[in-house]
Formats: sequence, structure tokens, C-alpha cells
Amino acid sequence: MRRRVVPYFLLGPGAAWLLLFFVVPLYYMGKLSLESGVVGALEFDWNWGNYSDALQLYDAQFVRSFIYAGVATLAALLLGYPLAYAIAFKAGRWRNLLLFAVVAPFFTTYLIRTLAWETILSDQSPVVSVLDLLGLAPEGRALATGGAVIAGLTYNFLPFMVLPIYASLERIDVRLIEAGKDLYASATQTFFRVTLPLSAPGVVAGTLLTFIPASGDYVNAQFLGSAGNQMIGNVIQSLYLKQSDYPAAAALSFVLMALILILVLVYIRFAGSEALMGEEAV
Amino acid sequence: MVSNEKDPRRITAVLAVLVAVVALAFGLAACGGGDDGGGIEGGGGDTAAEEVKLEGKPSGDVTISNWPLYIDEETVADFEKAAGVKVKYIEDVNANEEFFAKMRPLLEQGESGGRSLFVVTDWMVAKMKELGYLQKFDKSGLPNFEKNLVDNLREPSYDPNREYSAPWQSGMTGIIVRKDLAPDVKSICDLFDPQYKGKVEMLNELRDTVPLVMKCLGIDPEGADEADWIKAIDKIKAAADSGQIRRFTGNDYAADLTSGNAVAVIGWSGDAVQLQADNPDIEWRMPTEGCILWSDNMVIPVGAPNPTAAEAWIDYVYEPKNQAQIEAYVNYVSPVKDVKEVLLKEEPEVAKNQLIFPSSSFTAKCSIQPSPSSEEEQNLNRAFNAVLNG
Repeated sequence: MRRRVVPYFLLGPGAAWLLLFFVVPLYYMGKLSLESGVVGALEFDWNWGNYSDALQLYDAQFVRSFIYAGVATLAALLLGYPLAYAIAFKAGRWRNLLLFAVVAPFFTTYLIRTLAWETILSDQSPVVSVLDLLGLAPEGRALATGGAVIAGLTYNFLPFMVLPIYASLERIDVRLIEAGKDLYASATQTFFRVTLPLSAPGVVAGTLLTFIPASGDYVNAQFLGSAGNQMIGNVIQSLYLKQSDYPAAAALSFVLMALILILVLVYIRFAGSEALMGEEAV
Repeated sequence: MVSNEKDPRRITAVLAVLVAVVALAFGLAACGGGDDGGGIEGGGGDTAAEEVKLEGKPSGDVTISNWPLYIDEETVADFEKAAGVKVKYIEDVNANEEFFAKMRPLLEQGESGGRSLFVVTDWMVAKMKELGYLQKFDKSGLPNFEKNLVDNLREPSYDPNREYSAPWQSGMTGIIVRKDLAPDVKSICDLFDPQYKGKVEMLNELRDTVPLVMKCLGIDPEGADEADWIKAIDKIKAAADSGQIRRFTGNDYAADLTSGNAVAVIGWSGDAVQLQADNPDIEWRMPTEGCILWSDNMVIPVGAPNPTAAEAWIDYVYEPKNQAQIEAYVNYVSPVKDVKEVLLKEEPEVAKNQLIFPSSSFTAKCSIQPSPSSEEEQNLNRAFNAVLNG
């Protein structure tokens, strides 16, 4: 009897938290997304038109958001994996210091870190002159372009990529890598056949932790982008706070949530289920 | 972590829970939709507006909500001493729409979240008054306001007898340039000159940017209909699409002007005073087409605690001597008579500044900030924000 009660007891606080701060708001948002009228006189009338409007009016911003978030995730992976690898296997006694360096930006708020990029990428900055020389800054500027938004996203979410990858690399039993070498595999072969598969759970977790929040982000686009670089988060923010069109904002949020859920499920199905639930423990 | 076998049942279970949650949400929504109209009801029905009831001498606590950096550092303390009231002064109004979104659920219930008074722009006063969110002043508590309010602000269309709103500060929307980098920008139309491609910024405010562009098109914003607004929005859209406009900003245009990222922007006069003082290359230009004039106003919301002290505050800042102290710091246009005379003695620099005490010839071509009707508003908002969010 006791054994049956304890798990529910442990589940209780978490479930209550989810119910109160996820299910209840979700319910109100769902209801709001089916209302029509203007603020002060909203009426619940199963107005599914909010959903078709959301898809028709803002398809460009949806596509743009997923492209920006996808590119930023890929960039964070290409930057983050070698970094995590170096920290896990090559850093020696610098390991903790390097890990601290990865987390250190979190000591400053997200907004300030993003605003700092306005200075770094300002038109007269040395960074932009170099980019201009390399032909990477058309019209002689980096700010207020899609590239700046992607760079900001990559920078802001990089730690979310590095830390899970580091955690899974760090747990790899080095004897497995040694065994690979003993069996005459080259360093490259060992990496692709042993290290990479064993770190896959970290890669999957890292890409999800980067892609999902990056898709809904609006801070980077607002400060680093131009009118043509705004993401779906900016549209939702503007619908809610500027245009007071709450039903449209709520419907758009649901559509965003659903699309992300679909993308993530597809991703896990094809790339990740093995890695997430596979041969993790040795 | 313990090893798990790949288990499709788990995914199914997760999906089942999600489906259940969504079903529950909509199920509840259906029930809720029945009689309470979704919990949000129109406040516009209350025709009998609440009125301020004065209770003798002001005393106790009062909470005042204003925009950031909109007051000097001494006035609040001076008022506390003079009136015998304890003031909690908070700077939590950053944008009219955002503040409205935050306050609406409270005001709808007849509450003000503890605020006795807050400050919003003309068109927001109109909207809140229409929704029955504001209290009517008891003018017997406002002798200074009655006497010293400048004449041109006494009869705004949204509050013809000034019974619900008292101007805090006024200002102009026009052009701010880097005179070293864009010496020739003198009109709104010049902002569309391809010579400045990618170096022009405009405000992300419908009621500031669009009416100014109307003036470039030769349309009088005060008599504009929906088609006129759309015509101006189309012009802005074309400029945004072609890359002429670098981006749309709030008052963070200041940083871009200082760094030279932008050379000409649509901006506010009070910011210009401050920016000119900090950087001699930055300069306000009164557009040859004229500017947009607006005011931010003090209002007493429904459910406001201690309205007696709130009225005492309004009357206090309408005393020219007290107003001069605020004016010397904030640098917007004062709505109070005789302030210039006080400042001529104390701070002649401020008193002679056309941006702070504009002469009537300086603002001759300016228009009062127009506000579209609430039916037009939704369409125009949608069209304008489609430009902002390309």
C-alpha cells in the first residue's frame, strides 16, 4: 500500500505546479483564441477564423522564424560541439574554469547582452569593417540585417547547446574509445563510431533547447533586425501589446506551439528517438 | 539515469496526455462561454462616470504612476512636505498600449492596482474615458489648474471641459538629424531621399510616424480619413521594403544617432534637447511641413485610493514655481502658464529654448496629434504593424 502512495506523493508538487502554471493558462489562452470582438467587448463564439487568419497573414514570419532558428541551431552545434569536446577531453585542470566561462554570460541579463551586440556590430565598428572587407556586409552594415539576428540567436543560446553535449561527452567511458583504437580504428573512425553516437543524447537535447526558444524569440529581431527580419514572436508581441488584438495573439501562440511540437516530434522520430532512449547506460 | 528501452507506448502516453489537456481546455471553454461572456465584459456601458469625492485636507499615502525620467529629483519630496502626504512615485508607464494591456483587467473590475493617478497620452485618455475607466475631477480642489492651464490645451476634442485629464507635459514629434552627416534634411519628404538609404529611422508609433508622412503627401492629418492613413502607410512600406528605412524604433533611436548608424530620424522634441546638449552634432529640425503636437495627461482612474491627495498633486504641479522646477529637468513643453517668466530669472537657457517654450510662429504648421476612430483603429494598426513586422 505504502509503495503505491509514495510515487503519487512525490509527483504531487510537480503536477500541481504544471496544473496551475501550464494547464490553467493554456485553458484561458485556448478560450481567448476563439473569441471575437475588440478589447472590452470580447465574446466567446468559437471563432476559428482567428486560426486561419493567423496562418494566412503571418506565414512569411513563421517560415522566417523557423529558418532563423534552424540556422542558429546549426551554427550553435558547429561551434558548441568542438567546444564541449575540448572541455570534456582536452581541458585538464582548466575544465571548471572553461565551464564557468560558458555559463558566465548568464550573470548579465539577456536584454543587456543583446543590446551589447548593437555596439559590437555598429556601422563604424572594426568588426563591421572586417566583414565589409570580406564581402560579408552588403551595404556596409551588419546591424539591422537577418545575419545579425541569427548571430544574436546563436550567441544567446550557445550555452544551452554546449552544456548538454558536455554532460553526455563527460560521461563516456574512455575505455570504449581505447577499445576502438585497440581494434585498429583510426581517430576519425573512433569518433564517428564511438564518441559521436554516445554523445547523441546531448546533441538532441542541445538542439531542442536551442531551437525551441529561438523559434519564439523576439528580442534579437527587435534590436538587431530591420522591418524585414521580424520573427513570429515580434508579431505576437505586437498583436498583444500594441494592437490589443488578444484573440489573434492567442491563436498565433497556439499555432506556433503546435508547429514546434510537430517539428520536434518529427525530429525525435527520425533523428533522435534512438539517441534519447537508446543505449545510454553502459 | 537508468537505461530505457525505446518504448513507443511512452510517446503514445505523452500524446494522450496532450490531447487530454487540449480537450479539457476546449471543453472548459465551451462551458465558460455560456453566460458570463468569457469573463471580460464591456465597461463602456457605465454611463454614470465615477466622480472624485474630496475629503477635507489631503493626508495619507498616494501612489503616482508616470513615465521614466519624466520628473526632477526634488519635486516629489517637496510636495510631501508641502501637502503632508506620503508619495509612492513609480515609473512603470513605458508605452500607452502596454500600460493599457496591463491595467485593463484591473480597471475592468473597477480597481487601479493601488494607483491614485497615472499619466497617459491624449488618445489613450480618450479610449479610457470612453470605456469608463476614469474619474471625473472635482474642480473645487484644482484652483491652480483652472487658472494656469495654457489656453490652447483647454478644449481638446476628447475632454472639452478638461474634467478627466490634466496635461503633464506636451511635446512635438519632428526630425532629429546628425548635422555633420545629413545637413540637408529639412523636411519629412527629405527622409525618403535615396542619398540616405539605410540611414533613416522612424518611430514605431502609428500616431507619430504616419501623420508626419501624411504631411509630406500634402494631407492634413487632422482631417484625414482611413484612405489617407493607408496612403501614408503605403509610402512608409515602400521605403521599408526598399531598405531606405533602417529600422523602426522607440526612443532607442538615440543610440543609433549617437553612433552614426542613423543620420536622420523621426523623434521627440524632449529627447532632442537632451541629445543636443550631449552631442553638438545632433540637432532638432522643425520639418518644413510642420510637426505633430501631443500631450501626456494626468488622470485619476476608477477605484483610485486617496483621490483627494491625487488632486492635491495635480494642483501642486500647476503652480508655476513648482512647474518650473520640473520643466528645467524634463525639457518638454510645459502646459502651465507663466513658467517661462519664472525660468527667465533662474535658467534663461531653458526659457529661451524654442523646443521647450515654442513660439506660436515656430509651431504654426504643426498639427494636433490625430487619432483614428476605434473602427478604423484596428485596420490601421494591422496595416502599420504589417510594415513594422515585414
